[in-house]
Amino acid sequence: MRTVLRWVRKWWPGLIPLALLWIWAAWMNTAAWETDLAGRAAAALKNNVLDRANVEADGRDLTLSADAFSEEGRQSALSIVEAVPGARLVRDQTRVVPEAKPFAWSGERDVTRFTLAGNVPSPAIRGRLDDALRSLAGNAEVADHMEYARGAPQRFDAATQILIEQLARLSSGKVALSDSSITLTGMARDLGGREAIADALKKLPDGFAVTENAIQAPPYIFQANKDPVAATVTLTGYVPDNNIHGTIIAAARRKFFSEQIVDNLKASVGSPPGFTQGVVEALGGLSRLSTGALTISDTDVKLAGDAFYDVAIDQIRSELRTDLPQGWHATADITAKPPASSVDPTVCQQLFAELLAKSKIRFESAKATIDRDSAGLLDRMIETAMRCPTAAIEVGGHTDTDGDADANMALSQRRAQAVVDYMVRAGAPADRLKAVGYGETEPVASNDTDEGKAQNRRIEFLVR
Amino acid sequence: MGYFVTFHWMWLAGAALIGLAMGWISIVQRGTGLSKRAMQIAAAILVVAIALSASRVLGPAMSRILPWPGRFGYWLDLGLVMLATYFVGCAIGSWLRERMIWRSAPRS
Repeated sequence: MRTVLRWVRKWWPGLIPLALLWIWAAWMNTAAWETDLAGRAAAALKNNVLDRANVEADGRDLTLSADAFSEEGRQSALSIVEAVPGARLVRDQTRVVPEAKPFAWSGERDVTRFTLAGNVPSPAIRGRLDDALRSLAGNAEVADHMEYARGAPQRFDAATQILIEQLARLSSGKVALSDSSITLTGMARDLGGREAIADALKKLPDGFAVTENAIQAPPYIFQANKDPVAATVTLTGYVPDNNIHGTIIAAARRKFFSEQIVDNLKASVGSPPGFTQGVVEALGGLSRLSTGALTISDTDVKLAGDAFYDVAIDQIRSELRTDLPQGWHATADITAKPPASSVDPTVCQQLFAELLAKSKIRFESAKATIDRDSAGLLDRMIETAMRCPTAAIEVGGHTDTDGDADANMALSQRRAQAVVDYMVRAGAPADRLKAVGYGETEPVASNDTDEGKAQNRRIEFLVR
Repeated sequence: MGYFVTFHWMWLAGAALIGLAMGWISIVQRGTGLSKRAMQIAAAILVVAIALSASRVLGPAMSRILPWPGRFGYWLDLGLVMLATYFVGCAIGSWLRERMIWRSAPRS
């Protein structure tokens, strides 16, 4: 022992090069050691579910900062880092993610971007939400501003997946969840989008409730354009289904007797209430214009064009006001077309004949009430009557042989008078118009067939 | 500590070589070396350093003086390990030299 002590007393000079070596080693190794230690700690935490996990080394000491999703997860992460070989002390800067009350989440869409915000309970659910949104977003930008929090309602994952799918149906808007309460605002991308969203929301998991669904649909558009040069009426826009489509086309064919109907209508849900009635009435207004355009946007009706004569303007406006469904609004921007040049009675007769060859003035069955589908034809007849100011015009009523002859005579007289009254109200001079009922005395076809009878039921205009 | 030694093995090998050389030389060096008092002071410093390094309990206590043991702790640990290696090298060097002198000494 004494010998060893004697040796040790003489070892001190070697401490000088040793100190130099120590300084050199510290200089060269500190950064490398810290990088290696932090790297091994981070690798050890790889399988732990943590948010914002970060390990920093300071010498042999490690600082672990992370948000864990449970107390067990937090303790586990600390234990793993403490067990990393070479680590001396672990400074704990971990926490369990805070509990959100209420647990709020939202998804928002604007023209170019989808944004997810609010609370999300775990990285796995966050990943699924991001993936779902990216698959729906196409080329749009996706921004994830969600923050982790505890306290998500049961089946949060399933509910938010459904809500994200609804974002794709919006052109702009927001879907939001607060605990189990859901609100939706914005504009549906397509017609029918609002209804599709409402249907999808029925599949939400139990416990979730929609407290506000303020999704608006794009306007339900129906348009008709009457082009007298091409002799066409072009229908564009939407109709709810094939039945209503057929009804509208049939009404258009009755009202536009001399124009070809160009049908460019598409079927789509989302029509406003009273759509069929509103469209048919508005088409009636258009049929009384020489040229014009009809636009129906939801329940707003805009009719513009030229009427055949001045009085028709007020009549059309009044009819739109009274005959459209309740809650519909009409705007009529109508002027009267310039009066056509006068013609002699022969030409006048010819013009009447041409018009009546295309269609005929119709009445309600066994009555003298003029069918409203004949308004367009009558306006053309009135315009023609005004072009021959010197001529006397006889309006003759005719019937088929069904029923009593005297009754038919009276009916034909009343119908002829109804036409004369209509024309006088429109501004035609009463002294030049005369109503004559011929009953069944002047058939133009056999009364043995329905077709013949239909031809015999007629109004004729005779210029004298 | 095993990983710590493995990571720094080249530097420890250097410390061992210095110790080996110092131990080899010290046997034939003239003089008595450090005084008893100096040896006691050196031993006390060493004990304190080892205590600081070994005790994790001292970590928070040290934080009043230093923000955290951090790099100072690492350098202390490295120095102590190198010192220990140096001493082992010295002991081996001295023992080998002593043995060689004993063998070559004339026998009477």
